[in-house]
Amino acid sequence: MLIILSLLVGCSNKKSEANTSYRIAVITMMQGGEFWGALKNGARSARSSTGAVLEFLAPVNESDYEGQISAVQRAIDQQFDAIVLSPSHYTRLEDVVAKARSSGIKVVLADTALRNQSGDFLITADYRQIGKAMAEHAFTHFPEGEPINALVIGSMPNTTSMTNLVESLVQAFSERANARIISATYSFTDEAIARDITRNALLSDPSINLVFALEEYTAHGVANALTDSSNIHFIAFGTTQFEIQLLEKGVIDALVVVNSFNLGYRSVMAAIDLLNGNKPARKLVDFDLVTKESMFSEEHQRLLFQTFQ
Amino acid sequence: MSKPNHPHSIKTILTFAIAFVSISFTLLISAILYSQFSSTIRENATVSTREIVRQVNANLNYYTNDILTIAGYARDLSKQTNELSRTEIERRLSSIVDSRQDIVCLLLFDLEGNVLLSTTDAPRRDATEIAKQTWFTRALGGEGNFYFTGPHVQQLFTSSYPWVITYSQQISYTNEEGELSQGLLLIDMNFRTVSELSQSAKLGATGYVYFIDNNGKIVYHPYQQLINSNLFNEDLDSAQEYIFGTFTNTFEGRQRLVIIDTVNNARWRIVGVAFMDELMAGLDQYTTVMLIVLGFCIVITIILARTVSAYISRPIRELDRLMNSVERGDFSAPPTVGGNQEVAALSQTFAVMVKRIRQLMDDIVTSQEMKRKFELDALQAKINPHFLYNTLDSVVWMAEQNDTEGVITMITALAKLFRISISKGRDIITLAEELEHVRNYLIIQQIRYQDKFEFSITMEEGMENLPTIKLIIQPIVENAIYHGIKYLQEMGHIDIKVFKRKPGAVVIEVRDNGVGMDEQKLATILSFDGYHPKGVGIGVRNVHQRIQLYYGSDYGLELSSELDVGTLVRLVIPEQSPIQPIKVVQS
Repeated sequence: MLIILSLLVGCSNKKSEANTSYRIAVITMMQGGEFWGALKNGARSARSSTGAVLEFLAPVNESDYEGQISAVQRAIDQQFDAIVLSPSHYTRLEDVVAKARSSGIKVVLADTALRNQSGDFLITADYRQIGKAMAEHAFTHFPEGEPINALVIGSMPNTTSMTNLVESLVQAFSERANARIISATYSFTDEAIARDITRNALLSDPSINLVFALEEYTAHGVANALTDSSNIHFIAFGTTQFEIQLLEKGVIDALVVVNSFNLGYRSVMAAIDLLNGNKPARKLVDFDLVTKESMFSEEHQRLLFQTFQ
Repeated sequence: MSKPNHPHSIKTILTFAIAFVSISFTLLISAILYSQFSSTIRENATVSTREIVRQVNANLNYYTNDILTIAGYARDLSKQTNELSRTEIERRLSSIVDSRQDIVCLLLFDLEGNVLLSTTDAPRRDATEIAKQTWFTRALGGEGNFYFTGPHVQQLFTSSYPWVITYSQQISYTNEEGELSQGLLLIDMNFRTVSELSQSAKLGATGYVYFIDNNGKIVYHPYQQLINSNLFNEDLDSAQEYIFGTFTNTFEGRQRLVIIDTVNNARWRIVGVAFMDELMAGLDQYTTVMLIVLGFCIVITIILARTVSAYISRPIRELDRLMNSVERGDFSAPPTVGGNQEVAALSQTFAVMVKRIRQLMDDIVTSQEMKRKFELDALQAKINPHFLYNTLDSVVWMAEQNDTEGVITMITALAKLFRISISKGRDIITLAEELEHVRNYLIIQQIRYQDKFEFSITMEEGMENLPTIKLIIQPIVENAIYHGIKYLQEMGHIDIKVFKRKPGAVVIEVRDNGVGMDEQKLATILSFDGYHPKGVGIGVRNVHQRIQLYYGSDYGLELSSELDVGTLVRLVIPEQSPIQPIKVVQS
């Protein structure tokens, strides 16, 4: 009788310790970067609260979507339970994502989506709203009626986040009198390209008085080209220390911060929810527009200075 | 189990009673144990959680005291500016700061925000920018006034944005003129120690400790980054509401045990959060074990109840079975049943009762037999006067005719007849004796009817000593003479044969060639209620009744008759073991 009891107790013990050590591949667009770093920190945070096993896979450069495809392929080959992916190309990754899903892997798209599908789940910020907010903020720097000639530099042309941003900027500019976008181009996340684009644009069109840099490396490149020209307004994405210094110096008028920690955390959580058969919460990732005046406010410093401790 | 109003068996009642009482007790005891255990666990959990929080608090006190000590040291040094060079003071302070991994920097400002002493050479922000920061303004207001901030981004140096906790205190220092002046001491700490303190507290599996300031704002939280990213909510409202002590509440669907303690020195409070479901995890296990044991106990109880009730009720059922067999008429089984005292006593009483009933039944049988005997005697007594009258009438007649020889023969035969009739009062005589009796009777009748008939008596070998009730042939013969032969013109014949008939019967056949009977008459002879003209058949029926009374309904008379041909009567009796004849008749 005692033996039976102890066996039963043993069983009930084991049951209560059922762990869900799912293997999840987190595939960002590239290895470095503050944005991706915070995303990975969020993912790690989710890992420590769930006991999931994470593996971070990413090409060195954002433009290397082939590298991303092979990273997804590797995750398929290694039979991961789920993939958290920020596709750096909205069509080229369709096939491999479909393949992953057909082999039973849950795919959560983080930040960027694909053109024809959004994986098993999509977690992103509202980039159209962000674009609108950026434009609206930019307009506050110009008196009504003054011509605004803007240069927009994105990072990757074939990502939903960039296209949404650019489209909403174009939309906002079309609604404002005397405001136009001189050029909207892409740096392929290359600081040097961004710098050259900015330099050439400023040389060829001195009327440019506003620059949007839609990604941190791009912003660095723009900043390098801008240093001496203080009359150009500059709105950038990112939270790098360099950008924060530029914000304090007044080179950058506003920084757009997307809470990529939140993005990473929630993507991993969503993957685990899907694996457990639960429905993840559908909620947009928050963002904020930080200016020099607001950067040390309690609310903004927590978002801006994401590298905690 | 059974239909309503149907009485339940004693076994069922006992089973239910025992099971009900035992299970009730088991459940009651389980409930008491459970509630005691659960309250003990809860109490222990509360006590241990409070202890852990207290421990963290004590450690935090050491830490803040440590900082205060360093601040005191810095204060002392800042008064020695006339004795020690600024470089020397900064070197000493730097060595302290460098020896500690938690202190980021230590600076002394004047009240305008200008740096007087610093442990770092990093490019600083403007004094005006520094002087308007919270940690600066909050510490102002009197010497000794000190302040611990919550986590914030350090804004002392350009191009450096670490998260720190700041200790600031207004102190007096010796200025360049050698006069005491008011300044502001700053010590910036990283989260290392606070984080270690917070993380050292293990409250269940996912419980944690965090710190809030006196405004209820988070100073440090282990899930700080999740909180920053709006991924985690802390129940700050109730922490602010309770201020101090222990309480339980439910936040975001989980029951939490919250312990709040105040931190000395810093105006912080420490909040320990433990989750009830984790603290009570032991209870779940206990509950599982308890439920298993409970289930086991109930099964055992039911089995036990059944066994005990079966044990108690078995003698009663046995007794019941005995009573049933008695009811069916079987008095032979000794009605004693073992088992418990009461049933044994009951059984004994029953045994006495059965014995008494058996006695009474035996008495009834005896009295019935006696009654039958009286009846037989009465029937036999009926024959004798009837015959005696006829015989004596014949003797008188012969005496009148002076037929002495005839009288002698007659009287001799009559004497023999009576001897057998008397036969020492026995009812059973041998067949030989019975035939002797009828022979004498026929002799008498032959004389009486003046050779109106002839007779023959034959018997198979070896049947002489077989028993029969006596005087059963004579009435048949008498009937044959009076109602058959008497009316014949020619010579009558009466033939008596005795033989065996299988299985186990003796037949005494009396055949006459008298006038015979029609079927109707034949049918009425043996029935009791038939009409008998001129007493025909009375004797025959007597014989039939006697045989049946004595031997049972399987035996008796078989009659067949035909008008103008004769009558055949068969007396059928059972074949029994031979007996000794009466000596007197032999002679």
